[in-house]
Amino acid sequence: MKSDIGNDQANQYKHLSLFWTDIIHLMSGKPHALASVGPMRAFMANSKKISTEMIEINENLVEFNKYLAEYYDQLMETWNTAQKKVNLTALKIPLDAEQVEALKRTWIGTFDNDFTELFDSTKFGENYGMLVSKELELTKHWNAIVNTILRSANIPSKEEIDEIYKEVHTLKKRVSRLELELKKAGVRKNAR
Amino acid sequence: MQGEPRLDSRIIEEMLKFGENVVKAPRVVAAPDEISLEVTPHSVVSSMDKTRLLRYKPMTNRQYRTPLLISYALINRFHILDIHPEKSWIRNLLQQGFDVYVLDWGTPTSMDKYLDFDDYVNGYLDNYVEYIKNESSVEKISLQGYCTGATITTVYTALHPENVKNYISTAPVIDGWHDTTVISNLAKHVDVDKMVETIGNMPPEFMYYCFSVLKPFEQGLEKYVNFFKNIDNKKFVDGFLRIEKWLSDTPPIPGELFRQWIKNIYQDNLLIQNKMHVGGDHVNLRNIDMPAFTQIAVGDHLVSPECSMPLHYAIGSQDKTMKIYPSGHVGMIASSLSQKKVLPELGQWLVERS
Repeated sequence: MKSDIGNDQANQYKHLSLFWTDIIHLMSGKPHALASVGPMRAFMANSKKISTEMIEINENLVEFNKYLAEYYDQLMETWNTAQKKVNLTALKIPLDAEQVEALKRTWIGTFDNDFTELFDSTKFGENYGMLVSKELELTKHWNAIVNTILRSANIPSKEEIDEIYKEVHTLKKRVSRLELELKKAGVRKNAR
Repeated sequence: MQGEPRLDSRIIEEMLKFGENVVKAPRVVAAPDEISLEVTPHSVVSSMDKTRLLRYKPMTNRQYRTPLLISYALINRFHILDIHPEKSWIRNLLQQGFDVYVLDWGTPTSMDKYLDFDDYVNGYLDNYVEYIKNESSVEKISLQGYCTGATITTVYTALHPENVKNYISTAPVIDGWHDTTVISNLAKHVDVDKMVETIGNMPPEFMYYCFSVLKPFEQGLEKYVNFFKNIDNKKFVDGFLRIEKWLSDTPPIPGELFRQWIKNIYQDNLLIQNKMHVGGDHVNLRNIDMPAFTQIAVGDHLVSPECSMPLHYAIGSQDKTMKIYPSGHVGMIASSLSQKKVLPELGQWLVERS
């Protein structure tokens, strides 16, 4: 119920923001068309995209925080359990160097075992997977904002650069294959 | 006050000494940046894109005819194989009379994000194998892969068995479903497509995170306490700093390769089931029919023995040996055990077949 209210508020905020962004964009479109080659024109045209991304970032941030909180909860719970185990095995305060060393070994051994068990569990794996996924969503929005700004300044976006990288990679592969075929053809020729 | 427990004076003494050592450390210990990890003399004999082929200077008058190419893992750098003169894997093999080459995968940049298994296996590795064959005038070479480098060499050997005379796999990453390490658990739950599409290459920071969850208290806390306790022990400090420097040098992994890796090895486990395809070719482990030697560390917390051992049973070789050592992932290749037991056994096996 609580999250529904939260979603309603977010949608309302999103609608309000998009409404005014659209209206301002429509109202300001004609005068700016006079300077259609300038960076401000392009930036204005992309401002809607940026504000949409910003709103969605907030939504993802809420989700990200949820998984981050769960991540630290799991760590904290494991810490407390491990500490209790250590307390049970070392009831007395160590008074000599040998006892301190033994306690240290017990502490490290218990904590390493319990934390390894946690990191190896499905519960941790699933939450960690979701945490990384939400973090990637945030990165995606950030990339989209940066791309919009780059486009408005007539600088190639990440996608465009990636296309070039892919093209270079494909070309390199084709050249290598051709070189190999030439080499094989040379070997055949020498053999004759 | 009589009869009340009293604190051992040695505890206070130790604490004071520890504090003193922390203050003294910068004056007596070299910074990791000041240490060179390239110990044994070598030269770069070939390069392709960012990768390099290193050839080590011979240490014996006569050498075995079949050269040995070592493919290091894609995580961290090849320096662990030559971390210290007394613990150097490479130096030991040179002293046994082998002609040793090492493949340095280099440091990929954003431009290399589309590099995949095909590029590494049929591109770089095949190119260097051909180079060595030409240089040494041999038809076949001995090939060794370590950790993830052994996954690449395994795929290569299955696709190009005609080029490999002897195959050595050291802690190979092969059967992802049977891997019992924490890394395997994380790899199974990560949306690798989204990851690669969003960030491209796998950043070193992500790799550091994966390593930090392995024995977090022993590796993240105790070893540094031991370091400060032992700063007057030159041998200990030198070894510690070399390993730490090596650990901190992790290049990014090309995005496409990482995607294929996680999917084909950890999530779908295609390699061991003979269902993997690389560059359009079917990878059949039964094609590995030359003499094969598999080295496994029983205490390996990076690549569990259960992940490596299935290779021994999956290959088609009649002449195959598997050795299990009482060591860890790094200990198997850079320790006194590796010098006294692992390398002599490997050398003997190779001598009989080189």
